[in-house]
Amino acid sequence: MSFWEYVGNRHQQLLTDAYQHASAVFQCMVLATLIGVLLGVVTYRSDWAGNLATTATSTILTVPSLAMIGLLIPVVGLGVPPTVIALTLYGLLPIVRNSIVGLRGVDPSLVDAAKGIGMSRVMRLARVELPLAWPPILTGIRVSTQMLMGIAAIAAYASGPGLGNEIFRGLASLGSKNALNQVLSGTLGIIVLALLFDAAYVLLGRLTIPRGIRV
Amino acid sequence: MSTRERDDRLDDGADDRLDDRLDQEGEPPAPPAAPPRRRIGWQKLTLVPAFLVVMLLATWLWFAQAELDPLSENALADGQVSKALWQHIQLTVISTFFVLIIAIPLGILLTRPAFRKATPVAMTFANMGQATPAIGLLALLVIWLGIGRRAALIGIIAYAILPVLSNTIAGLKANDPSLLEAARGIGMSPLGVLNRVELPLAVPLILAGVRTALVLNVGTATLATFGGGGGLGVLITTGITNQRMPVLVLGSVLTVALALLVDWLASLAEVLLRPRGLEVGQ
Repeated sequence: MSFWEYVGNRHQQLLTDAYQHASAVFQCMVLATLIGVLLGVVTYRSDWAGNLATTATSTILTVPSLAMIGLLIPVVGLGVPPTVIALTLYGLLPIVRNSIVGLRGVDPSLVDAAKGIGMSRVMRLARVELPLAWPPILTGIRVSTQMLMGIAAIAAYASGPGLGNEIFRGLASLGSKNALNQVLSGTLGIIVLALLFDAAYVLLGRLTIPRGIRV
Repeated sequence: MSTRERDDRLDDGADDRLDDRLDQEGEPPAPPAAPPRRRIGWQKLTLVPAFLVVMLLATWLWFAQAELDPLSENALADGQVSKALWQHIQLTVISTFFVLIIAIPLGILLTRPAFRKATPVAMTFANMGQATPAIGLLALLVIWLGIGRRAALIGIIAYAILPVLSNTIAGLKANDPSLLEAARGIGMSPLGVLNRVELPLAVPLILAGVRTALVLNVGTATLATFGGGGGLGVLITTGITNQRMPVLVLGSVLTVALALLVDWLASLAEVLLRPRGLEVGQ
């Protein structure tokens, strides 16, 4: 069976896997973005707190993903929970780091001006600082998503959802005729998803980066 | 100096120019003695090892009282744990060595004038490669080359080359052009400029590349087990498939400890090996 025949025969299964892969990554990215930006907002004004947040999240990233999943399984069991926790934790570093860098990079005179026209702390953050820090944060989100695409594939080993299942099915049936097709469809599927997400982020940037600071 | 001259030439407003000059001449001439950065604080020296000792000790204590059934005992007996650990270290060291001798010269080559046109192509390729899942790459290599250590090693190397390569290129490109111009101006050959100016300036970056490669490779080496390449991943996968938590936890804890240790050693090397001249203003 050629690769395209395989894809044609199994498109239902592949689409389901692809959809689950994308939705797992997307949901974990939303979680990671919320937590990451929050961590950035809480810590960026103090030197040591910001460094602590960056160090903590980069330590998480140092942990190999299979080991992280292995440590989560005894606690939360197999399947979706370890996948979601691991993906969210891994997604944090680029977002936390870029939010801190972005928020620290905002021109203090602009914040001062906002204060001068009577904006409250929350208003300043929501209307001035975060919009100005958004481009680096978005870059962080892009980097995270690319990384999570690959990690989600490994999470399939712990019965997680997604295209990784296709790859592991191929590895389990090494030597059979379909092994190559399975691995190839899983791998290419993930690459395609990653590129689609990346394109979506470029579009999102166009739509959400304030016109005044667009390069 | 050259920047100020350029500024002066570009500025057309006389007042601006005057302000600029006042600003620049009013400033003290570069802070003389910035505190030396070479000193490694005691926190940096002790925090990670202390954490690792506590973690390993806790695991050991837990193991001492854990009751192992035959299946778990089988998986851990006969020095299989130390064998897996040793294989993992070997995989990491060998792959890192190859990553560095491939990626760094390639990065230098791609930033030479003759090949500069190829740089964007290589960078696009590198970015595309980043989207490739490590496990997929490894599985394809296993199908292509057969099960065994060779496929695993090639997979690990291929996966780490791109990040190190793009790091090297970015770093060499970030060198201040006026320094290179100055070096050429005093009559250095292109090779001299590379050896005596560009590479020393890029040392921190190359060290960062070494660190990236090491950490990535410790992680990817856990996947070697799927291609029959051994390593600590064997314990993790055995633990998952047989549902034996002691095996799973031991494998995971050892992997985490190894990854953190390697990262810590590499971060020490980064501080110790940095050229002295680059410490000021860091």
